[in-house]
Amino acid sequence: MFSRLVWAVAVLASVIAAAAQSTVPQSPPKNGGDFASDPKVLKKVPSGVILVKGAWASASDSVTPLPEGGAITNGVLTNQYFGISYALPPNWTEKYEGPPPSESGLYVLAQLSPTEAFKGPARGTILMTAQDMFLTPLPAKNALELVNFSRKHLQADYQVEMAPTFTKIGGRPFTFFAYWSPVAQLHWYVLNTEIRCHAIEIVLSSRDTKLLENLTLDLNKMKLPDGASPTEGNGGGEFPVCVKDYAEGDNVLAHVDPVFTGHRFNSVPVRIIIDKEGKIKHVHYLSAFPDQAKVIGDALAQWRFRPYQKDGKPVEVETGIMFGMARTPARRHTDNSMTE
Amino acid sequence: MLRLVQCTPPAGEARQHFPRFFPGIQFPENLNRSIENKPVLRGRVVGTASVLAAVTLFFAGTAFPQAVDPGVQSGSRGTGAALSSVQANSPSGILAFFTDGQARFQEVEVVSGGTNNGLGPRFNSNQCSSCHAQPAVGGSGAATNPQFEFTSNGVAPGNTLPSFITATGPTREARFPFFFNSNGSVNFNSPNGGVEDLFTVTGRSDAGSCNNPNALPQPSFAIAVAENNVIYRIPTPTYGGGLIENLDDSTLLDNQVNNLNNHFGIAGTFNHNGNDGTISRFGWKAQNKSLHIFAGEAYNVEMGISNELFPQDRPLPGEDQQGLGLTPGCLNLSGTGYPEDTSNPAATPNSAVLDDVSAFANFMRFLAPPPTGSVVLNGQQVSSTTIAAGASLFSSIGCATCHNPSAGNTQVSNFTSSLSQVPVPAYSDLEIHNMGTELADNVSQGTAGGDQFRTAPLWGLGQRIFLLHDGRTTNLITAIQDHASHNSEATNVEEEFFNLNTTQQQEILDFLRSL
Repeated sequence: MFSRLVWAVAVLASVIAAAAQSTVPQSPPKNGGDFASDPKVLKKVPSGVILVKGAWASASDSVTPLPEGGAITNGVLTNQYFGISYALPPNWTEKYEGPPPSESGLYVLAQLSPTEAFKGPARGTILMTAQDMFLTPLPAKNALELVNFSRKHLQADYQVEMAPTFTKIGGRPFTFFAYWSPVAQLHWYVLNTEIRCHAIEIVLSSRDTKLLENLTLDLNKMKLPDGASPTEGNGGGEFPVCVKDYAEGDNVLAHVDPVFTGHRFNSVPVRIIIDKEGKIKHVHYLSAFPDQAKVIGDALAQWRFRPYQKDGKPVEVETGIMFGMARTPARRHTDNSMTE
Repeated sequence: MLRLVQCTPPAGEARQHFPRFFPGIQFPENLNRSIENKPVLRGRVVGTASVLAAVTLFFAGTAFPQAVDPGVQSGSRGTGAALSSVQANSPSGILAFFTDGQARFQEVEVVSGGTNNGLGPRFNSNQCSSCHAQPAVGGSGAATNPQFEFTSNGVAPGNTLPSFITATGPTREARFPFFFNSNGSVNFNSPNGGVEDLFTVTGRSDAGSCNNPNALPQPSFAIAVAENNVIYRIPTPTYGGGLIENLDDSTLLDNQVNNLNNHFGIAGTFNHNGNDGTISRFGWKAQNKSLHIFAGEAYNVEMGISNELFPQDRPLPGEDQQGLGLTPGCLNLSGTGYPEDTSNPAATPNSAVLDDVSAFANFMRFLAPPPTGSVVLNGQQVSSTTIAAGASLFSSIGCATCHNPSAGNTQVSNFTSSLSQVPVPAYSDLEIHNMGTELADNVSQGTAGGDQFRTAPLWGLGQRIFLLHDGRTTNLITAIQDHASHNSEATNVEEEFFNLNTTQQQEILDFLRSL
């Protein structure tokens, strides 16, 4: 009798449970979010556009020229920040723009390749980059040290054809460095100088050395600012003076640290221009999420600096600061020498 | 011969010592080499198609043959085996953990009943190895997509097959870069990016109370396709995962600095784990810190099985966004409570105590990288010499800046000697790089933006059918070309590939298919 009762209760419970399951109020079909039952294609997601960006470059104003702000118009590359103007060789073009500035301070200013109309036994490439010497983790203080570092740490696939050597391009001092890959039969010519504390490198590569020589000679038509130098490109003249680590120590009269509340594990390189009164005039965020740029900008607006003086007169000064999870540059050695 | 001057020239007067060799740089004599203007076929014949092309073009007299992707290598060459010290069962008992994980990796999961339950209510597949299949368990997608049969073979009977799942196309997951507005248009101000599971348990006999398609609808794939608001991912191969996992952050950071010494315009960064800020490294955007996290997330997201790392059943991103979550009738379908996958304290042997996620992680951790060396491509043996030449070319033109043949040595391993202080020939720096508009998927994961991807490890590439993160192509040359686009770090290197002659390009392709 008791067992029958238990069985009956169990059956009743299971029926109730089943009924409860079948009457669980199901959510109505959702609309929006992951669901769109009413197609209304006002605007398709465009292909070939980066709409969701990671850390990217931005600036506090849209007037001050930026290192990455160059453009090619009517076959002429112009970069106002660096004061460079370069008429591209005939039948050369930039098919694709370079990547955004890196968190290590590398800019791809131009990457050129031959057009379909190009005639020659082999193609080639022209790559123009700028490395911010304040922000590089490589052990080099200037452009010359950077090219010497490249030469000394050339990977085993390459052989040096000409060690870094002084030359002139457009009437400005440069270093010339050449190496090649025997297996690839490819040659690289690296021309290097420094402008506004950025190592400017023009890298020519091809299997055709005659093409490379002609491209090198053609570079002589490039217009460059007075201050370009592999060791002395510290701005001044038409540009602010650039001074490494100026935003440190006694130069900083007041400062407020930015507090990251969102993204916080990336390095955030920033380049600032300080006016003659010691206030922030311009902030360039090389690689930052918008929330990071906001808090850094708000903090920097409260910083005050000792005005930089040149020849007894206050002048604008430009420097770099690394916020976030910054790496300490590995200072293995410095090398200003030219060797055979 | 050019006379070079030893100088330390901080001052302007040093310039008077500059050799006056420009304009008209006195290029050293050895710079002026003649080049091989004509691409000459040498070494291994590159396959029937290329031979025919060569003959045709020879008679046409106007062009030279193009390099061709030799395709997937013949045979698996032992891919899918355990690391050597694991095979040797050192330390004692470890081999059982590998074989147990390998077996669980192949188990077919059901919704309720049986021992392997917990599937759903939303899922992309019902078995790890159905996606990680090629050329052996643990790999990438197979030539035949098992998802294509799911609506007809009882796995997902109440579902509509999305148009992008085809019989011989890539095995895929789908994501919507943006949420939809309530009127059906794309909400560009609301990035989504989460996985939209392809299937539901609706219609299955073991789905219990979750059998109302109105209560558990599939995402709006047809509309997403029409509005171009969908991107795809294919399974990442897991070979050698334990080696990648055991690289210390400092090793990767040192490698990153070394990588910056390049003349190709490349400078990557790392994705970071949101909890402790250390470098994450698994997944197409390096969004996962460890194999455990990778396995736990996949079990939850791809198969709908809650586990000790992800203890709840997962709603779609939009279901949570709308404050609804999963409908109550579709919760706890296995009847076991949560998490559906747990460790088994009373089980024997030792390996059986582990939860599935830990077993999966061990399997991937102890899985050896694919063997390399001489290989059969297009039915013909390719010599080690040719492969070595291709490897050297690959490095010379800058591919190895990111696809680094060794990012460093692993740290001391507490698991087994094959993971301890050994090189990691993954052909990856494990950094994320801007890959430009062509590859951008507009999905952000961690600190990786819409066009940033982890340098994909290339081991096993020779046996992969579908290439790039979304499986868009089976052709290596197309995959290389797609590395170049606006805002890509790889554009210059892609140009260098096409600066090589045809024979050199072919050697690189053969090398890649030897991996």
